[in-house]
Amino acid sequence: MLKIAVNLFKYRELIAALAWKNIIVRYKQAYLGIVWAVLKPVMLMLIFTLVRSFVGIESDNLPYPLLTFAALLPWIFFQESASEGVISVTSNAPLVKKIYFPREVFPLTAMVTKIVELTISFIILAAMMFYYKIIPTIYALWVPVIIFYTMVVALTISFFGAAMNVYYRDVSQALPVALSLLMYGSPIMYPLSLVRKTLVEEQAAGVWSNDLYSLYVLNPLAGIIDSFQKVLLKGLPPDWNVILPGLILTIMVLPFSYLFFKRAESWFADVI
Amino acid sequence: MPIIEVDHLTKEYQLGHLTSLKETALNAMRRLTFQTVQQRERFKALDDVSFSIEEGEVVGIIGHNGAGKSTLLKHLANISKPTKGKVTVRGSVAPLIEVGAGVHPELTGRENIFLNGAILGIPKKIIKQKLDEIIEFSELEQFIDTPVKKYSSGMQVKLGFSIATTMEADILIVDEVLAVGDLMFQQKCIERMESLIKKQGRTVLIVGHNIRQLERICSRVILLDHGKISKDGNPSEVCGVFFREAQDRTLIRHTHIEGLITPQKDAGVLRVLQVEIVDDNGESAKYASFHDPLTFKVIFEINTELIRPEVVIGVHTSDFVHILSVSNALPDIRPDLKIGKYVLTCQLSDIPIRPGSYNLRLAFLDQHRNMLWYAENIMPINIVAGRFNITRLPEVGLIDVPANWSFNIH
Repeated sequence: MLKIAVNLFKYRELIAALAWKNIIVRYKQAYLGIVWAVLKPVMLMLIFTLVRSFVGIESDNLPYPLLTFAALLPWIFFQESASEGVISVTSNAPLVKKIYFPREVFPLTAMVTKIVELTISFIILAAMMFYYKIIPTIYALWVPVIIFYTMVVALTISFFGAAMNVYYRDVSQALPVALSLLMYGSPIMYPLSLVRKTLVEEQAAGVWSNDLYSLYVLNPLAGIIDSFQKVLLKGLPPDWNVILPGLILTIMVLPFSYLFFKRAESWFADVI
Repeated sequence: MPIIEVDHLTKEYQLGHLTSLKETALNAMRRLTFQTVQQRERFKALDDVSFSIEEGEVVGIIGHNGAGKSTLLKHLANISKPTKGKVTVRGSVAPLIEVGAGVHPELTGRENIFLNGAILGIPKKIIKQKLDEIIEFSELEQFIDTPVKKYSSGMQVKLGFSIATTMEADILIVDEVLAVGDLMFQQKCIERMESLIKKQGRTVLIVGHNIRQLERICSRVILLDHGKISKDGNPSEVCGVFFREAQDRTLIRHTHIEGLITPQKDAGVLRVLQVEIVDDNGESAKYASFHDPLTFKVIFEINTELIRPEVVIGVHTSDFVHILSVSNALPDIRPDLKIGKYVLTCQLSDIPIRPGSYNLRLAFLDQHRNMLWYAENIMPINIVAGRFNITRLPEVGLIDVPANWSFNIH
């Protein structure tokens, strides 16, 4: 962990330059430019809102579009950072083969790049909150912490995935599938309270209900999205019961993921 | 303390590619059951290489293709890790391995300067300071705000080289970059390299095929052969060895037999069956000696009658500089030839061409100087020093002519 932070600082100029390149290159020849970056969460929000008008999903007494957008914001940041991170080493093969710098710069850059898009999403969210007249409370100060936690989760997947992807390109093929499954396994279309109500209170899955709920909150994204909505929209402190399982899992897996990446790194140039 | 130490460095690569899932699963099973696993074939790119380089040395690394030169540089630049052995580098390394690795086509020249600078680890402050210098050196003032994808390949390399050489590292690693751009820019690159080397006393490693350039710049040359160091030391000595080895390799074919080459011009009236150089006893020879006679023997067959044909035999360098040609028209020995097979011999009484590897060209013309048959690169001709005690001095010219000297008091 500390080493990542040190490298992040030491190679900040390189990461900044590479991230800046990524952004410029992505939008340079697109007429709509950076607008594309916000289109994805907005479209998903509209689709979810449309779907909800048929099936009816509870929204904790909040406007549903706002609730789902607040869920999509950290989710899309996570999803894009992880999938870009996983292909970051292989897509920079010419650099890997010719110049040395610590290879974790690539997943880190992929994540930093996404911060720009995240910022734009935040502006939209702020506008929506203004529209729905929701005033953030002091608990909104938790937001940077939650975003940082999201980064750590994304990096945990990126490091392992990026190293594996150098050897087996199957990883980059499988990841989108896994991530879209995870999207339905995270409280995005529906609030977490609904899951808790169904599983814990109504025991909808019989004897498995409590275990299933534990499994559900083991997904770090459940904690992230729930807390994000809580601190920003509901003016409540984060719910540690939901965060802790995922957080502990992440903290346990991250060192292995990073070590795996560092071990595999030596052979990147030979294999890629 | 040496700035670079390479200690018993061995690098192996696995040949072949990723095996199928079935194969991987089977291998895993075999490992679990302690059976021998079928190993993929391994290839030693570097085999037990050891040397050390002191600060300020300029070392050239030469060898034929696949000798392990680039693999060695990759280890010094920390891009690859050794299979066995150790590489110690004390100091910062600027890898100019194929300049322009980090140049992105969508960005403009100016943007690429900053990006590439960051990739090479040059702080932004320094790049800003040197921006004008870089642009000026690259000769791209006019195009600096144009996306690089619109540049010619030469312009891209110019840009890459200009950025890379601004980096202030202790060790410069250069791979074939001197062969870039047009002649004028090449000259500039060499001058820049020489100023980096001589004025700033940097340690430089250069890999290249332009032996002459390396011989000039380097203070020491290492010759690699199949992953091993075959010679290490004085540039002219090592380059000489490399050159002789290359010569020996080309010697394998010292007779031309019909069918080996396709003539550039063939009117269909004659076939060249065999071409060789022969010694005094008429035996096929492998070498010709400097300032000695040289005899060509050509066996050919004609299927129509030729009246007063002209035959031209010439020698050219591997880059097709025609050094000399002789023709039977000058002494006017042009007999009429009936249908049949002929042996033509032509003796040059004195070869003025300096030792080296050259090539033969041959032309047949009819009496009106219409080309009947013409081919270049027919076979290599190796000229050796013979009775003269010189190895190879390309810088003094290709031709040597007798000269009379005298010193008198004025």
